[in-house]
Amino acid sequence: MSQIPKPVPQPAPESLPYWEAARQHRLELPQCEDCNKHWFPPSRTCPHCLSTQFKWSQVSGRGKVFSFVIYDRIYRPAFTEDVPYVVALVELEEGPRILSNVIGIPPDDVRCDMAVTVVFDDVSDVTSVPKFKPL
Amino acid sequence: MIHPSTELRDICAIVGAGTSRLGKVPGVSSLDLIVEAMRNAISESGVQVSDIDGIICRGPDELYSQHQLVGERLGINAKFSTTATNGGASQILSIALAVMAIRHGLATTVLCGYGRDAWSRTHKSEEARVRNETRPDSQLAKEFGPEYGYFGAAATHAFGATRHMHLYGTTKEHFGHIAVDFREHALRNPDAQMKKVLTMEDYRAQRSIVRPFGLYDCSLRSDAAGAVIVTSRERARDLKQPPVLIKGFGTYNNLRGWFADDNMVMTSAKQAGETAYRMAGLGPRDVDTAQIYDCFTYMVLTQLEDYGFCKKGEGGDFVASGALRLGGALPTNTSGGQLSEAHGEGMLQIVEGVRQMRHTYPAHRQVKDAEIALISGHGGNQVCHSTLILGRA
Ligand SMILES: [Zn+2]
Repeated sequence: MSQIPKPVPQPAPESLPYWEAARQHRLELPQCEDCNKHWFPPSRTCPHCLSTQFKWSQVSGRGKVFSFVIYDRIYRPAFTEDVPYVVALVELEEGPRILSNVIGIPPDDVRCDMAVTVVFDDVSDVTSVPKFKPL
Repeated sequence: MIHPSTELRDICAIVGAGTSRLGKVPGVSSLDLIVEAMRNAISESGVQVSDIDGIICRGPDELYSQHQLVGERLGINAKFSTTATNGGASQILSIALAVMAIRHGLATTVLCGYGRDAWSRTHKSEEARVRNETRPDSQLAKEFGPEYGYFGAAATHAFGATRHMHLYGTTKEHFGHIAVDFREHALRNPDAQMKKVLTMEDYRAQRSIVRPFGLYDCSLRSDAAGAVIVTSRERARDLKQPPVLIKGFGTYNNLRGWFADDNMVMTSAKQAGETAYRMAGLGPRDVDTAQIYDCFTYMVLTQLEDYGFCKKGEGGDFVASGALRLGGALPTNTSGGQLSEAHGEGMLQIVEGVRQMRHTYPAHRQVKDAEIALISGHGGNQVCHSTLILGRA
């Protein structure tokens, strides 16, 4: 069963830098050169001020769990060995919220507003996926 | 100062309403189901097919220009026809568009409807049953989701439930009241997909899906269609059914996303409702029955708050009071809703609102003396919302 491969990200053109940074174990987000705010998911226009001047900048990787769910039902055979697993919406210190897994803690112990920090899961030689563990 | 939208109050009526067979209807396409519902609506209304000059309808998302396929099967050319793609908010939006088109002389009699084959498509194979997906693969996320095992609408809405429980002390037991009360309504409805009693004990023992949701927190997979006919109040007078007035409607779409701001615990039902109340000149206290978009139990609870039937955070106590039952303070989803009647993306709830306003139900299904019905639609990646307020003529 564990041989069934999990889905790997199929990046849109605008998110290729995000995944390239993740491969090198850095969490990078687009940051506006005009208003200095970050955003997610990646796009080429700042949703805060509509500037197109932005850079990819590394963020702290620290945040808190805004909300979360625990999967008991298996929606894809590739996740048979993983249930129960946590899918969480993490609010980063820099503002944006990103979807991920919270790992390294029993699912029943996860709470809203819990502090977490990023870790990278090397799912293949070319792809690493940002996940979060309790801080 | 009078708001310009009040010009739309009471100028149109719903003069026909119909459904297809509901639940498990194998071997019938979504198009044949919607045509079945539309034929039933036309035939009970007394409207001549040749008088229908508008079609605004929707089906499964992969059907390109679905209204055209429907018109072809009904043999109707239209002055005004389109398909809205606001998910479960589309069906009320269709009626809103119909009223605006009629008001400005772009059409006189508009057929609105929705049809899907969601039970059949999620039961055609074991793989389809496991995936439980009604949308085409081309619409599913390719990154920032599947690599984390994030699939299905249940999880998306469950995020809101978790956050609401955290902020306001809402409990699973509160969600249970919603599931149990709507099932009780479905048992009074011979067309309902669910025929078995659901007790709070059954609810507590349910199979977990995506916590905090279990099986009975999730709406049904149904083959189902519904349709209504909208025309001017003047034309409505000469037809077969007691006309039901369109008193108000509103839409609001939190396009910044379900995961942005506080949208998962304060939905766009708030602003859509305010717009509809203003058009109708009414408020939550005037509403006698509500038909709330119940894709998941939690969504009913938050919308009841967002519509002002109780304060934000007090939805749990409100549903636990028995308010939602037939005979309660606000009989809600009186046909069983999408949790227990059938899931027609809000269209069946519009039909139920119309029928409640006609007072033609037997006493055990009728909301006594009901004059005003509020109906909600929600969907389109969880951020689109629409509200319809109906009244007795
Ligand atoms: Zn900016």
